[in-house]
Amino acid sequence: MELPIKLSRDSRVPIYHQIEGQIKALIVSGKLPAGSPLPSIRALSKDLEISVITTRRAYQDLEYGGFIKTTQGKGTFVAEVEVKKMEKLAISSVSEAIEKGVETALRHNYSVDEIRSVFEEVLARLKDNDRGGHA
Amino acid sequence: MKLCTQIERVEKTVDDFTVGPINLEIELGTITALIGNNGAGKSTLIKMMMNLVKPDNGQLVHFGGSIKTSEHWKQEVAYQPQSVLGCDLLTGNQLRDLMAPWYKKWDQEMFMNLVKTFEIDLHKRFGKMSKGMQQKLNLVLALSKNTKLLILDEPTANMDIPSKQKLMNILVDWMERDERAIVIATHHVDDIKKLADYIVIMNDGKLLGKYEKEELVYRYKRYWFEDALGIEKIPGEIDRLNDRLLISNDVEQTDTFLKKNELKIMQSEVLEMEEIITYMLSGR
Repeated sequence: MELPIKLSRDSRVPIYHQIEGQIKALIVSGKLPAGSPLPSIRALSKDLEISVITTRRAYQDLEYGGFIKTTQGKGTFVAEVEVKKMEKLAISSVSEAIEKGVETALRHNYSVDEIRSVFEEVLARLKDNDRGGHA
Repeated sequence: MKLCTQIERVEKTVDDFTVGPINLEIELGTITALIGNNGAGKSTLIKMMMNLVKPDNGQLVHFGGSIKTSEHWKQEVAYQPQSVLGCDLLTGNQLRDLMAPWYKKWDQEMFMNLVKTFEIDLHKRFGKMSKGMQQKLNLVLALSKNTKLLILDEPTANMDIPSKQKLMNILVDWMERDERAIVIATHHVDDIKKLADYIVIMNDGKLLGKYEKEELVYRYKRYWFEDALGIEKIPGEIDRLNDRLLISNDVEQTDTFLKKNELKIMQSEVLEMEEIITYMLSGR
């Protein structure tokens, strides 16, 4: 596997959207800097066990959004992305991650207040750890 | 999408078994897995695609030319049969020498690389090779013809596990070289999961359908319920266990029904490819 992408087939989020989101996250977090080569559509489809139709859709969306560039005969590469756009995306990837947690909680029949208290608890704990680490 | 093959109302009856009528289109840039139980008619269909079996009715077109009246498709279609007769006394080298001159785009470099990858002894007679080795040689001969369409009839049936893995990577590379297509008849789930874009299901001589892989995966779902269902039949239901586990092949209908009747789902998940194919081949 060339890219650390993990798909969840049981998620409500369509597969092509998951790929798009995770590649964006790799770009925004700096793990895939501008100019990095991406696997071909066929190779990624094999690794992820999906059809090229699905992978192509994800790549097309990424290309349309300016995140990747395809050069005929050379392959697909990460494009230069503006800093502003990167910041915006970081926020949306955070909200996506929280969304996932809330979804899990709802599946376990948590009430809104219960979810809120779990969130506060996790936040407090991680913040504490962080402070501890820097002390 | 550009088409490479059009199969229209093709039909063939041998003794009392009829294959078809079959309608199927193959697009360039895609890999199509042909699936069906033994005796479903896959090999007959493939042989008709190679003009080795003449259909009673219908027509077959490769790259715009009718298979019956045109010749140019022969340079663009390569085929790996399940078994070959009459080659037993020839060595790998002799088989290559017989075949290569017929194909204008024959790629000798690819041939030698693949021979090395699969560790084929070209000096050995075909009849003295193991079944797996014969299959590898047939495959390498087909790939090196460098055609736009490759038709494989159960290529991994006798292969060891490392060779199966190698083959997948080889086929992926082969697809990247040009605008190409592969049709692969297979019983091997990994071939379907890792290579196929489209899945064509055959049963008892009939083509049951052509599905995009993800479309097929999301048709089916498994549900676990908190309480016993106690209801006779739920829309989309194809299987049930202990009245608490349900399998549906129409997720939308099932979901709507479950919501309307306020049936609490404990958990739900998509099925494994093996299960999906097993249900499909049993007509569910």
